[in-house]
Amino acid sequence: MPGRTKNLDGFANAASEARRQIYYELASGASGLVLALFMWGHMILVGSILTGERGFNWLAGMLEVYYIAQPTVVVIFTLFLVHAALASRKIPAQLADRRRMIELGKGLANAGRFRPANASEISPMQAHIESRLWIWQVRTGMVILVLGSFHVVLLGLDVLTPLFGEHPGIEALTSVARVKAGLWLPYAILLLCVEFHAGVGLYRLAIKWGAGRLLSRNVLHAIERVLLWFFLGLGVVVLLVLADVLPPPLAFLLTEPAI
Amino acid sequence: MTSNEGGAPRRLRFEIFRYNPEDPGSNPQMQTYELDEAPYMSLFIALNQIRETLDPSLQFDFACRSAICGSCGMMVNGRPALGCRTLTSDLPDVIRLHPLPVFKLIGDLSVDTGTWFREMVEKSEAWIHAEEAFDPEAQEARMDDELAQAIYEGERCIECGCCVASCGVANVNEDFTGPAGLNRIARFMMDPRDKRSDADWFEVVSNADGVFGCLGMMACHDVCPKELPLLEVYAYLRRKTLAAAFAGKEE
Repeated sequence: MPGRTKNLDGFANAASEARRQIYYELASGASGLVLALFMWGHMILVGSILTGERGFNWLAGMLEVYYIAQPTVVVIFTLFLVHAALASRKIPAQLADRRRMIELGKGLANAGRFRPANASEISPMQAHIESRLWIWQVRTGMVILVLGSFHVVLLGLDVLTPLFGEHPGIEALTSVARVKAGLWLPYAILLLCVEFHAGVGLYRLAIKWGAGRLLSRNVLHAIERVLLWFFLGLGVVVLLVLADVLPPPLAFLLTEPAI
Repeated sequence: MTSNEGGAPRRLRFEIFRYNPEDPGSNPQMQTYELDEAPYMSLFIALNQIRETLDPSLQFDFACRSAICGSCGMMVNGRPALGCRTLTSDLPDVIRLHPLPVFKLIGDLSVDTGTWFREMVEKSEAWIHAEEAFDPEAQEARMDDELAQAIYEGERCIECGCCVASCGVANVNEDFTGPAGLNRIARFMMDPRDKRSDADWFEVVSNADGVFGCLGMMACHDVCPKELPLLEVYAYLRRKTLAAAFAGKEE
């Protein structure tokens, strides 16, 4: 803990260094917040496939005609990279340090698991999972960085160039063909990682900045769980429809009455 | 109670970390001891029984037996806890004990928390910085009851080191102020008698060794034997830091 100098300027610029640090922290939290909210909105929009190809194409068309989709792709990809750069600054660089953290997290989670059935309620040996959740946030973050980049670049090409399909833009036919051809697997992994990463990330962000005073930690954790399972469930149904395994369950909304 | 009343007592198996850094011939290893569980047996009672009846060379620290001296912190099945406050009836048949990580090992389960806490106190200058000389005749300044309670809450820390041992960051970054250190800082930031300004604190708290080193793993809050509201402490430090950053900008 000795007061080592960590920047080249020494302590001369301690105040500006401290200001830089809070900007990093704010930018990493805020970019995470925006990305998590975007992901949930995105899931709802992609959910339009549940009404069938027509509904999906109509929504995609609207977002492109009014130039909402094009800047969004660019802005989200930028935020995505900023978030990756800033959030990763907290990951220990040395493998030995990472192993130490993993070991510690496992110990803390398992200590409460093997309690005798009649252990007292005030026993200090309660399960603690948040340390393990952080480790999994790092792991899912790494997966998202790879698979998410692939997905955003692919869809960026869809939206901004006429490379795939008949004209620039997202088309249901192309999306279904891709998912069916095998993209269901990376997309399923991406879905799982994103929902976990976003849910746990927002829970942690809320606790860090003191939302625990308004809502208890249990309530915040419960909200996180509900959102996680809701969007995971929705995502799975969307993928099944895109893979042509399941007929669009909400197709009746857009069909003309028979008479 | 886990030991079946009237029936045979539970046979407890203790796996205890043994290593004496002073002895060049000593190698770190786990040693096993078996003991019959007694009603209301704490780890304090169990370890003393092991030392008295099975192995007089076993090193561990205890003083008060009532969770106030903070010397019996140890890793119990992978989680930091006070030996005196942990009942064997809350633990499985196999109890693995390790010394607290982060701190310097004295031997077996005994660690030197004192040096770490002294360095933390010196680094954060955890004492009241008053501008005026102390006047023993003067009446003490009045303090709001709510504020006094909040300061007292932070003062309840017994410096057992359980939070530090449970902290992933403190385990890998020896410069990190640590949960107990941040709690200390918050206590003096709140204190109106301390004349250090928010701008002074800003430089201490707003960095990777201060509150922004915290990953939000929350283990410190969960393991604290005194149940200090550590998560609220960090949120307080973050908000104060934010306020100081923007106040400094306007100057």
